[in-house]
Amino acid sequence: MASRVTTESPVHAASGGVGPAAGHAGSATVPALRRRPSGLALALPALVLLLAFFALPVVLFLARSVTEPQPGFQNYAALFGGPTYLRILLNTFIVGGVVTAVTALLAFPVAWALAIMPPRWSALLFGIIVLSMWTNLLARTYAWMVLLQQTGVINRMLQALGIIDEPLRLVNNLVGVTIGMVYIMLPFMILPLTGVIRKIDPMILQAASLCGATRGQAFRRILLPLAAPGLAAGGLMVFVMSLGYFVTPALLGGTSNMMMGQLVAQQVQSLTNWGLGAAAAFVLLAVTLLLYAMQIRLLGRPEGMR
Amino acid sequence: MKGYGLTAAVALALVATGAGAQGMVFTSWGGTTQDAQTKAWATPFTEATGIAVVQDGPTDYGKLRAMVEAGRVTWDVVDVEYDYALQACGQGLLEPLDFSVIDRRDLDPRFVSDCAVGSFYFSFVLGYNPANFPDARPASLADLFDTERFPGKRTFYQWAAPGVIEAALLADGVAPDDLYPLDLDRAFAKLDTIKDEIIWWSGGAQSQQLLASGEAPIGLFWNGRLAAIQADGLDVGIVWEQNITAADALVVPKGAPNREAAMQFIAHATSPEAQAEFAALTGYAPINLRSPDLMDPAIRATLPDMQTAMQINADLAYWGEHRDEIAARWYAWQAE
Repeated sequence: MASRVTTESPVHAASGGVGPAAGHAGSATVPALRRRPSGLALALPALVLLLAFFALPVVLFLARSVTEPQPGFQNYAALFGGPTYLRILLNTFIVGGVVTAVTALLAFPVAWALAIMPPRWSALLFGIIVLSMWTNLLARTYAWMVLLQQTGVINRMLQALGIIDEPLRLVNNLVGVTIGMVYIMLPFMILPLTGVIRKIDPMILQAASLCGATRGQAFRRILLPLAAPGLAAGGLMVFVMSLGYFVTPALLGGTSNMMMGQLVAQQVQSLTNWGLGAAAAFVLLAVTLLLYAMQIRLLGRPEGMR
Repeated sequence: MKGYGLTAAVALALVATGAGAQGMVFTSWGGTTQDAQTKAWATPFTEATGIAVVQDGPTDYGKLRAMVEAGRVTWDVVDVEYDYALQACGQGLLEPLDFSVIDRRDLDPRFVSDCAVGSFYFSFVLGYNPANFPDARPASLADLFDTERFPGKRTFYQWAAPGVIEAALLADGVAPDDLYPLDLDRAFAKLDTIKDEIIWWSGGAQSQQLLASGEAPIGLFWNGRLAAIQADGLDVGIVWEQNITAADALVVPKGAPNREAAMQFIAHATSPEAQAEFAALTGYAPINLRSPDLMDPAIRATLPDMQTAMQINADLAYWGEHRDEIAARWYAWQAE
């Protein structure tokens, strides 16, 4: 009955997904340290703590990928040798990509509205968005399960309104994963995007329209390029967080949408095949770092991580 | 977090009662099962012996292995799957049980081995929602795979464990006596015929939700979970024909800090009274052969041990030996 575990363990996996947030805080302190040497002394306890209780265990765990069951690269050969694990890796990227794209599409208008609203209203809306992040991830995911299932509220309503005859398949597939993850990721896209859009001088858009630009042109050639750093920052954060996601795909997806995070958990928790689990974790980590490096190279340090 | 809270509470209690009080940690899967284990086993055990039992969980094989390898074991008794117990015993992760403390005479010999005794046993049974099948009722495992006569999604246990593979083979016409060694090619070929219609359940509560909501009107379930829905007043069909048994086990991790208390706890938990009480609470069957006589006949009638004539025992020793290779293939097939 190994699996009663899964209702618990995703919480740990999710709370472990602090990658982007940790990078955020870390890089933000670097310039400050250079300016004030005393800052280093202040940060030292946190750094030691991070090194001893985060970096070291991660390295020790990843080392198992080349030491278990025998020394060598057999775990990596297994990961890349057959179609199964490559397919899971591909799934991970597909889900991450779809979630990032949909999140960006939905977040942009909200961020725009937040930026141009009267401060009192935008503060209220902001509060609601942040409040959603305080609710337990597992509770929110289960709520989607109930809403999206065939006999759930959404299908019942659509059927009652005569919009559909047969219930839609909204859960246990990619659709369910996307809906559940986009909902959780939205704040991480909205917040950086709003910050960037707020800094855009509204006079620039006015000038564009005075110069004869249509609304579409003003959006494509003025607003979008100026908001790009925010989109990049939010997009990176959402994509990277999505790559390591565990709880939502486990509950709202089908097994054919399995992601790397699920593979790692399965290998480590149920099969105690730590070699393969560590290899999968290493691939995930390497891909994440690579993406981050590419992003910095192509777009400079994203806004908000400077 | 719950574990830490309880640990703190027990630590305080130990301080309050002074020296001499002893404690131990019991780890299980959480949910209604662990609640019942607390009520039927741990509480009476503490009353009888004065040994405090701290509840922890959920069971995690990765954590168990890490504890033993690091030599820092914090769990004294753990509820695991029986086939895992056999495998872990072979890997040296478990203490041999002390059968001078644990009385094995009355225990069901199917569920007794060097490092493990049964915790309880259960059956995978075909369950269905009668509202979805007004004309014909499913009656056998073959019907579970018949999407023409019984259309709709079917739900199966997601993890590699005894049950679903056996069900696929039985539905395909393999005789119960010829099940082992498992013909995995044949089993997966049979499962392939309904793969698009499968929704996997990963925990008992989810399986109940899928069936009750009609999301998956038919499937293979732990019998106790169906009994619980019935007790809530919902109409559920249960087919005992070809029910497949498997078991959970109680084990002591190698190097457990309170080994003696752990043996006493297992002796108590497998006693006729404790097993009868747990069975009454959960709908799972007792592994102590004297327990059924202590139980209410009405409750007894709902337990898997009354269905032995139609019962197929999963070969847990076979699973213990081949667990890893079956699992590797199972998960690869799922992800395809």
